[in-house]
Order: sequence, then structure tokens, then C-alpha cells
Amino acid sequence: MSALLQYLISGIATGCAFALVATGFVTIHRVTGVVNFAQGGFAILAGYVTFSALRAGLPHGVSELLAVLLATAAGGVVGVISIGRRGTPLLASLIITIGLGFLFYAVEVAIWGDQPLQFEGVPGVFSLAGLTLQRQYLLIVAGAVVSFAALLLFFNRTYLGKIFTACASNAYAARLAGINVTRVGIAAFAVGGLLGGLAGVLLLPLRSLTFDSDVDLAVNGFAAAIFGGLQRPGAALVGGLVIGVAEALVAGYSHASYQKGVSLVLIVGILVWQASRRAQAD
Amino acid sequence: MTTVLRSRFLRPSSVLIAGVALASLLLPPLLDSGKQTVFVLFTLYVVVTVGLSLLMGLAGQISLGQAAFYALGAYTAGLLAKHGLPQLLALAAAPVGSAVVATLIGVPVLRLRGHYLAFATLAFQLIVLTILAEARGITGGDIGLGGIPPLLPVLNQGQDSELDLNSPLVYCYVGWLVAALVIVLTRNLVRSRPGRGLRALATSEIGAAASGVAVGADKLKVFTISAAYAGLAGGVYAFFLEYLSPGSFPILLSIQFIVMATLGGLGEVWGAVLGAAVIVLLVQVLQAAASQPGLPRQAPAILSYAAYGGVMVLVMLFLPAGLLPTLRQRLSRGRG
Amino acid sequence: MAEALLEVRGLTVRYGAAVALADVSLQVARGEMVALVGPNGAGKTTLLNAISGVIRPAAGRIQLSGRVTQVPEGRQLFADMSVEDNLRIGAWSVRQRDPAAVYELLPRLRELRGRIAGTLSGGEQQMVAVGRALMSTPDLLAIDELSLGLAPLVVDSLAQYLRSLNRERATAILLVEQNVRLALELCPRAYVLEAGQIVLSGSAEELASSAAVQAAYLGGAPEPVPVASGGEDAEA
Ligand SMILES: Nc1ncnc2c1ncn2[C@@H]1O[C@H](COP(=O)(O)OP(=O)(O)OP(=O)(O)O)[C@@H](O)[C@H]1O
Ligand SMILES: [Mg+2]
Repeated sequence: MSALLQYLISGIATGCAFALVATGFVTIHRVTGVVNFAQGGFAILAGYVTFSALRAGLPHGVSELLAVLLATAAGGVVGVISIGRRGTPLLASLIITIGLGFLFYAVEVAIWGDQPLQFEGVPGVFSLAGLTLQRQYLLIVAGAVVSFAALLLFFNRTYLGKIFTACASNAYAARLAGINVTRVGIAAFAVGGLLGGLAGVLLLPLRSLTFDSDVDLAVNGFAAAIFGGLQRPGAALVGGLVIGVAEALVAGYSHASYQKGVSLVLIVGILVWQASRRAQAD
Repeated sequence: MTTVLRSRFLRPSSVLIAGVALASLLLPPLLDSGKQTVFVLFTLYVVVTVGLSLLMGLAGQISLGQAAFYALGAYTAGLLAKHGLPQLLALAAAPVGSAVVATLIGVPVLRLRGHYLAFATLAFQLIVLTILAEARGITGGDIGLGGIPPLLPVLNQGQDSELDLNSPLVYCYVGWLVAALVIVLTRNLVRSRPGRGLRALATSEIGAAASGVAVGADKLKVFTISAAYAGLAGGVYAFFLEYLSPGSFPILLSIQFIVMATLGGLGEVWGAVLGAAVIVLLVQVLQAAASQPGLPRQAPAILSYAAYGGVMVLVMLFLPAGLLPTLRQRLSRGRG
Repeated sequence: MAEALLEVRGLTVRYGAAVALADVSLQVARGEMVALVGPNGAGKTTLLNAISGVIRPAAGRIQLSGRVTQVPEGRQLFADMSVEDNLRIGAWSVRQRDPAAVYELLPRLRELRGRIAGTLSGGEQQMVAVGRALMSTPDLLAIDELSLGLAPLVVDSLAQYLRSLNRERATAILLVEQNVRLALELCPRAYVLEAGQIVLSGSAEELASSAAVQAAYLGGAPEPVPVASGGEDAEA
């Protein structure tokens, strides 16, 4: 019983981080139609920057903030390069994000090397229902909740946020209203960078930091995002939690190396089921 | 429209093709054995990429898991040969194995479109890798599958001397033959009636359905064919290396196939060849550059990631249609 | 003619190798109502898009001495957003984002303000599309297919709104319309665009009585008949 609770809590925490990555995918895809393959890279970059900032003696909080800001800027740069040039087709933009992911690798290996690194999150533990758990789990969940609330407010309550939604809803009409849709797309990339960076500084203290571990984060984030067709942030949140919990349960009760397989089979199964229901409805 | 399509698929001229064929036949003996290994891998990449380019360019479907079919072919051939099946039969079974799996998963998964399909194929590869790593009793798990017999016989010539036909040089020609076979097959397929239907599929699924093309069945056909190609290449790979492990088939390999296909120009048989050649050459040049003395240990990795990424970005920004279509356009403009 | 608000000269637009507009010239004066009619595929939408600046012409000049806003073909609302949000987004390029003035002209929109745009009827959606365009206080309203898919009565009331808009605020209107009867009734001047070229232009009466226009667009009827009783589409 207490084992179950333990798995649930760690699953929810990692699920929250996946959901942040996923929301980055969704934000970018909604506005630009591009699946940003560099999405996992923002998290890793933020992790490395936090590592170095802490090493340089900056306190917690400041280090993480710096890292997230840099990830946001990196998101903007990826946006400028992949969609900034007029007439770049979608598939080309997608391949460009893959290419930029490799450039991330080059920069990261050049600065931080190719050996795993580790940085501290919130130290200490807390107890819940007789369980001892790492404080970092709490921080991840709190960070994700705050981020989602802020995002919700931004998209639904602010004029600028509604401009994002308008571009996603009908890019042609947005252009007719005088909106520079490309610029909004680049801003969406920056928001994607921000969300990826947040996921990185929150989750990575629990894992070791290597330049190519972005693949794992991106796959999980993409899996969560595809839950809502890469369109709905809410569905991406649910998707992230389902994957996080499913992985934790599989890893806990059977074999750690099955965790990826099981959650993937689950998601593909759901997608195929949805698609065949849609086909029947037509 | 028809002239565009014709010029797209019936060229480049037979003279150029003969030239490329001849040059690639003469090249291997001039290479040292390390470079011969690269040549073998190049021919195998061509085989996989031609299939993927067909899938992406003609059927308009993206597969992020093509390396899974490559792996499945490799393990099919390796396991069958290890357990006593004659090598050539085991090699022939490799594309069949991949094709059977592709058909089985294709029926449900090809109901998905676009990004969903991309994700499903990515997931498929991760699942295949997990199974290969976990089925230790059969595949050897992460440690790998060794003891695969060589493809060609070892001839005994008297007492001490034996002639091993399984040198990298011989595999260069095995790979060449397989690639040539796949290229010829594909060109015929593309020109055939089903091939023309498939092009309609790439343009618009609804349009293709309206003009009487059986969308679902054709998609499955191309998906299966591209998997069979990858499986065939994997089979050769198994015999060439005589050792397999899941680590040889990472997601990055699938992405590399996509890059090769897109770089060359999608839906183009020769584009796939060109794309594979450019990437393989690029990696070679970089490794040579990075192994200069005095450079730090990580230099090769840094340099190859940087150049690999840089080339992808630049080509997609400035030649988004891919190398071959752009080259052809330049040439015909120069002529006309 | 009065001072030109819009002056298009020698406009050529290509999609790839296909020529959509060839050497098109047209003027709209301040406060004028002008109709642009022509068969499907003539290039009417292309012309409006070039004027709105969303596609680049291959040749020619477009001179505007004021703001133009387009009501696009098929409404093109932000379907999953509220009516009021649709209106406010229409005001992106200006400071004033309060829809009060538009509500005054189109009072029905005030009642619909909280509804999700995609759930409205066709006529209500067209009204939102017009209202959204008006939010940027344009000097020229370019409307693409006002009557598309709407019942004659609805079309009639939309036409009334345009009339009062033109009268009260002196907003010029360039109206692309398949319903040639309606277009010629509403606008004193018109152009006929066919296969990317202006083939006829002149006052509404001249065009309505020209044999070519009658044969091609008015079903050979001797006289234009009132909109509310007719409403049949030239192309439908
Ligand atoms: N984005 C595009 N790419 C290629 N061709 C286009 C594009 N948009 C329009 N065309 C072509 O340009 C020509 C003019 O199209 P346009 O939409 O301007 O016509 P229209 O007069 O508005 O027709 P309709 O009355 O049907 O709305 C048509 O032949 C059309 O097929
Ligand atoms: Mg039109």
C-alpha cells in the first residue's frame, strides 16, 4: 500500500515535468504547425546552466531563473531560424529543429563535456502517510501547478495571450487583422523554451545530466502532447500525468526497463482507438 | 504536370546513371578496409533511405522508426543463420520478417495520420528496442547477439591456406548489388500504375480517394515495402558485422534516415542515394578533421554534431526541396 | 472623380507559374461603394488579398491613402473564441480596442458578445466578420462574398448595414459579390473581372443594361429585380 503511494507520488512529479515539456510542444505546434524536435534540448540546456551557476556560487532560485531565461532565449533563437525565413515549408522547419538539436549537443559537449553531471535540487525529505519522500517532488508539482495557472491566465485573460490563440485558430484571419503571425510563432517558440527550461530545472536534479538525455524527455513530452492532438494544453497535462504514473507503476511492480514500452503501447493503443472511433463516426 | 512528373522520375539520364554505377564499382578496391566498411554501410543506408523516401515522398507518411525495421531484419537474419538456416535463406528471410511485422502493425497504426503516425512509429521503435534488450534468452539482450556465421563460405585451399570470401571488399559488392536491386525495383514501382496512384496519395488523401485510389491499402503497401527494404539492409548488416546489439539501432539512426531522404529530395530514388552519400561523406571528412593531433578528446563529437546540425539547417533553409530537385532545376534552367 | 483612396495600377499576381491577375487597374474614391464581380476563379479573392498585403504582387502598384481591412471569403472567424474576442482581435493594429462603437452599428453583436463564434448561424457569423473588420476603423472595407451561403433576408439586412455604414461614417466599400443583382443595386460603380483581367467597368446602370453582363450574370433578365425577391446566384 505504502509502496503504491510512493510510486504514485513520484509518478505524478515526473508526470508534471513531462507535462511541461508537452505544453511546450503544444504551444509551438498550435501557432506554427511545427513539431519542435529541439524541445527536450531546452530542458537539458537549463539543467547545465543551473549546474554551472550553482558551481559559480550563485544561490538556488537565481541559478534556476537564469537557466530558464536562457532556455527562453534559446527557444526564440530556434524559432527565428526554423520559421523566420519566408516560405520555409513545414517539413523543412521540422528538420531544422532536428538540426538545431544537434547544434545544442555540440555546444553542450564543448562546454560541459560528455560525462554525466549532477546538480542539487531542494535538499531534504518530507514525510507523508508514513512515507519519506524527497522534497524535490513537492517542488516539481508546485512549480508545474503555478506554471499551468500562469499559462492559463495568459492565454485566456490577456490580450497578447488571445493573439496566440487567434493565430492558432485561423492564421489567415490573423494576418488580415494585421498580426505578424511569424513573429507570434517565434514568441511561441520562446514560450516553448521557457516551459522546457522549467521542466529541466525542476526534474533534472532527480536524474543525471547528459547532453543526449533530451531524447527521453522529448519522447515522453511528445507522447503526452499527442494525447490532445498537439492542440490542447489541458490534454497534454493529463497525458503527462498518465505517462508519469504508468511508468512509475510499471517500474515499481515489474521491471524498470519495461516502463517505456508499457506507457508507449498504452498511448499508441489510445490513439488508434480514438482514430477508429472517428472513422466509424464518419 | 505530366512532364514535370516524368522529368522527376525518369531522369537523370542513363549516361549519368551508368557513370555512377561504374564509379561505385571501381571505388571499393581503392579504399582501405576501414573505408570499405564505410562503403558497405553507405550502400545499406541507401537501401533504407530509398524506402523511406518512397514512404515520405510518395505516400506522404513520415516514419520516425525506420531503424526498427532495420533492426528486425538484422535480428531475423542473424538468429535464423545462427540456428542453422543456410545463410542466403536467412538473408532472404530478413525483408520478409520486417515486412510481416510492418503489415501487422500497419493495419492499426496506419489509421493514424501525420504527427500521430510519426509518433506511433517512434514508439514502435522504442518498443522493439525494449523487447530486443529484454528477450535475453533469444537475442542476448544488451550484451548482444554474437556468433552469427558469415554470409559467404570459407573456401579451404589445401592445408593451411584458406580463402575467406567475407572480406569488407566482398561485402562492398554485396551491398552494391542489394542497393542496385532496390533502386531498379523502386524505379519500376514508381513508374507503374500503382506508383502513380501513390503520388496522388502524397498530394492529398481526399483527392486520391476521390479519384479511386484505395488509400488505406496503398499506404499499407508502401509502408510494407519500405520496411522490407530496411529489413533487407539489416540482414546484410547482420552478416557483415557478425554481431548485433540494440545499441546499434538508436532513434538517432531513424532520424538520420529521415535527414538523408529529405536532404536528397523526397520521393526521389536518386535523391536518397545523394542524401546518403552526402551525409556519409560529411561524417568521414569530419572524423578525419577531428582526429588531428592536439585536439581535445571530445573534438570529434563536437565537430560532427556541429557540422551535422549545421548542414541540416542550411540545406533546409536554402534548398528546402532537397539537393537533387534543386540541382536539376539549376541545370535545366542553365540549359533552357 | 473624387480623391482616390485606393489606386491599383498594372497589378500582376502569380501563383508559381500560373497567372492569377494580369495587368489589373482599379480605383476606389473616398466614401465610394464599388462592386467587383466575376465568375469563380476570376481572381477576385486574389485581388483583395493583394490589396490587403497578404500576398505579394509580381508587378504593379497599389496605392492606399488610408487603412484597408478585409472581410474574407467564408468569414474566417476565430471559431473557438468568443464574439467579443473576435472583435477585439480585429483591433490589433489600432489603440482603441473597445467594441462599443461597433455594437452601436450592429446591435445584434452586443447580444451575441459571449457566444463562441463557431456556434453562430451563418448570418450571425458574417455580421461578426464585418464587425471585426470595422474594429480597425478602416477607410476602405473590402468584402469578399458577402452573401455566400446566406438566405436572401439575411443578405438584405447585411446590405442595409453596409449602406448605413457608408452613409454615416463615409467608409468606402469594395464589394466582391457573386450575386450580381445585389452588387449592382448596392454599389453605384462596378468592375467585371474575368480570367484575371478587368473586362468591363462603369456605372451600375450601364453594366446592368449591357448585353454581356445580362447574359453572363443576370440570367438574361431584361431589368435588375429587387434583391429580396431574387437572390439567385449567378454561378449557383
Ligand atoms: N494559393 C493559391 N495557389 C495557387 N493557385 C491559387 C491560389 N489561390 C488561388 N489560386 C488560383 O488563382 C485563380 C484565382 O483564384 P481566386 O480565389 O482569386 O478566384 P475568385 O475570383 O476569388 O474565385 P471564387 O469566386 O471562386 O472565390 C484560380 O485559378 C485559383 O485556382
Ligand atoms: Mg474568391
